Amino acid sequence: MSEARVTLSEAVARDWDVIVIGTGIGGGTVGRHLAEQGLSVLFVERGPAGVRAEEHALNPTLWGEEARLVRGYWPKPLHATVNGVSTTFHAPLGAGVGGSSVFYAAALERPAPHDLDSSDDIPHPTGGWPVTYAEMDPYFAKAEALYRVCGDRDPLGPDKDLPDGPKMTPSDQALFDEMTAIGLHPYKGHLALRHLKDKAVYLGRKCPNGSKMDGRSAGVEPALETGNAALLDRCMVTEIDHTGEDVTGVRVSSREGTARLTARAYVLAAGALHSPRVLMASGGLGNGADLVGRNLMFHLNEMLALWPKRAARAEGASKALAFRDLYLQNGARFGMVQALGVEAQYGEVVHYLNMAFDRSRLRRQKWLRQFTRIPAALAVKLFGSAKVFVGILEDLPYAQNRVTFDPNDPDRLAITYDMAPELLQRRKAFRAALKRRLKGVRMAFVSAAPELNFGHPCGTLRFGDDPQTSVLDRNCKLHGVENLWVVDASFMPTSMGVNPSLTIAANALRVGEKIAIRLHNREDGDV
Amino acid sequence: MSEQFAVITGAGSGLGRALATALCARGIAVAGLGRRADALQDTATLAGEKFTPIVADVSDPQEVAAAFAHIRAIAPVSILINNAAVYPHRDILDETGESFMQTVATNLGGTVACSREALKDMTVAGRGRIINVSSFADLSPLPCSAAYSVSKGAVTIFSRALVADLGDRLPNIVVSTWMPGMLNTSMGLAEGLDPAVAAQWGAALALWDDPTLNGAVFEMNREILPSRGLKGRIKDVVRFKRRVPRQIAP
Repeated sequence: MSEARVTLSEAVARDWDVIVIGTGIGGGTVGRHLAEQGLSVLFVERGPAGVRAEEHALNPTLWGEEARLVRGYWPKPLHATVNGVSTTFHAPLGAGVGGSSVFYAAALERPAPHDLDSSDDIPHPTGGWPVTYAEMDPYFAKAEALYRVCGDRDPLGPDKDLPDGPKMTPSDQALFDEMTAIGLHPYKGHLALRHLKDKAVYLGRKCPNGSKMDGRSAGVEPALETGNAALLDRCMVTEIDHTGEDVTGVRVSSREGTARLTARAYVLAAGALHSPRVLMASGGLGNGADLVGRNLMFHLNEMLALWPKRAARAEGASKALAFRDLYLQNGARFGMVQALGVEAQYGEVVHYLNMAFDRSRLRRQKWLRQFTRIPAALAVKLFGSAKVFVGILEDLPYAQNRVTFDPNDPDRLAITYDMAPELLQRRKAFRAALKRRLKGVRMAFVSAAPELNFGHPCGTLRFGDDPQTSVLDRNCKLHGVENLWVVDASFMPTSMGVNPSLTIAANALRVGEKIAIRLHNREDGDV
Repeated sequence: MSEQFAVITGAGSGLGRALATALCARGIAVAGLGRRADALQDTATLAGEKFTPIVADVSDPQEVAAAFAHIRAIAPVSILINNAAVYPHRDILDETGESFMQTVATNLGGTVACSREALKDMTVAGRGRIINVSSFADLSPLPCSAAYSVSKGAVTIFSRALVADLGDRLPNIVVSTWMPGMLNTSMGLAEGLDPAVAAQWGAALALWDDPTLNGAVFEMNREILPSRGLKGRIKDVVRFKRRVPRQIAP
């Protein structure tokens, strides 16, 4: 990767076809597509390229901005005011080549048609996405091929056959049989993995051997291999210069100093928390309808432990199983259930309990906080043989849930979010449905309180046909701006009942096609 | 595992020579750094054809860089034993700022510079082994050992700092600290241990392939467990973890 890295002064000296801000699933995928179309692409990434052999996971307990940044973690904490309670913590956000995706567990699941489309039977809460499932379908297939998605066909879903995934462990097989016996429809979850036969699998951590497909291995690295793309790492975009109709450059800051970079087209892919922040730092670009940063959604994580009857202890985590029997129940939007894929370890459980403590009524009694260690140790013992699953409960858009911006501290990452009564009601129904449908399998809910999945932010620059109700048009170009597109999870009008990654990748390919056509047409026009 | 290639500093005498001989006898190719060509040649005679002598003063980062450029042209480094050290017996009233820092430059500076160079290869491979030869001189310094004690204590801390920086990211680059014991070398005591005996432990420790050795400290052939405060001991009990020191199998 080093040959394709450029310094700030080298980046300034060139006039690029496209500047891509951020290198996660969205930025990596669109940059690869554009580079493969022969366009010159500059990736601007806040974090470092890193060392390819690294294999660490996210670590929310590590403080110190430089220590976080060299590991590819977002350096600054998130200030979250949730239901009126403010906490400050490190969200599961990456800052490095591949963005947050280098730390993900590679679940690339298709949404269901009703996640996008509205029908008489299943009305969509926003009236439907501007692009239908049928229009997205070829891009889902392309993204699945690009990311080498493997696994079983969902017996309840519309997806096509995929290559076979990793072999199930004996306890996964036991659980699979138990679930089938009680009438559920489990399947091997969809994972972005290649070289299954001869390489170790790294889920939930950086993959040193290139087998996990993420924004780095499926996006930036193949883009750089075309020879048409370059990487400017450890460089922060501070502001987008524009005339109102045209973006004229991006202002950046790195260890080399500050500079202005220019291109014919710009793609913002900094993630659903950062992209609106960058727009707000740019004189309210795209904010004519006061929608930038609004309609922030996360999923609610409903974690449950399942103990297979024929348990094999200490097999390690696996992400094999998923089921969608409760995806939509009597018109209520729940979501899919999948193996967590990350082992519950002592340090993570302590952190998780400390976070819960900080939101609890006990939070002013700081000395009590250290006692979270005891239940944590017990939990690790207790859940040792269990498989931890997570139900992904869809979140719906509310304008008051939003990324906030402080002009005096534009780098500050902050959100306010209130759990809607409707969401809490739906969560109750989801838990009841889970309990009912899993009768016969030994199970326990891991948490009592609702848990936001801070790794799945979306919706903050929603796309739509009406500039009064959306920030982006149907091609994810800013309404009224000629040359700025957004391809991260910001564009989603609703959060769906699945992990966002496949949809981000598919949409990035769709938008990439539009950008390439636009730039090639202009080239012809010039001649 | 792929072919190993070891670098040993201070290979022209004492423990370094014995380590080079021991590793070569186990079939490992070794590049030995030392200040004196003739002393390195004597090591080469003992160690055999698997030994490559390289003249360099580890207190000079430029000489270290040149030496590793030479080494890298042969093969990437997979094992580094930071052994080179000087021990001037000097009263603090006879030290100057310069003389003190000259000792630190060899004992600590050499360890840092060689580690940085070796890490260039090890971070690409994603694996490697670093043994920092240290001592307990820092715990209760003897008279006339200020610079030695300070720099050796710092080497022990440097091992811990390496683990703090790399342990989570590159867990297969394994750093251990080794206190070989009092040796019968020109730097040690006449009644000390034969360096050839200690070198068998050092060689075995360098070839011991186990990521849980990251951050481990060994004295002679036995692991020294880090001391635990009350909180840590309670945590161990709650987590059903009993710590047992390991022993180097020669």
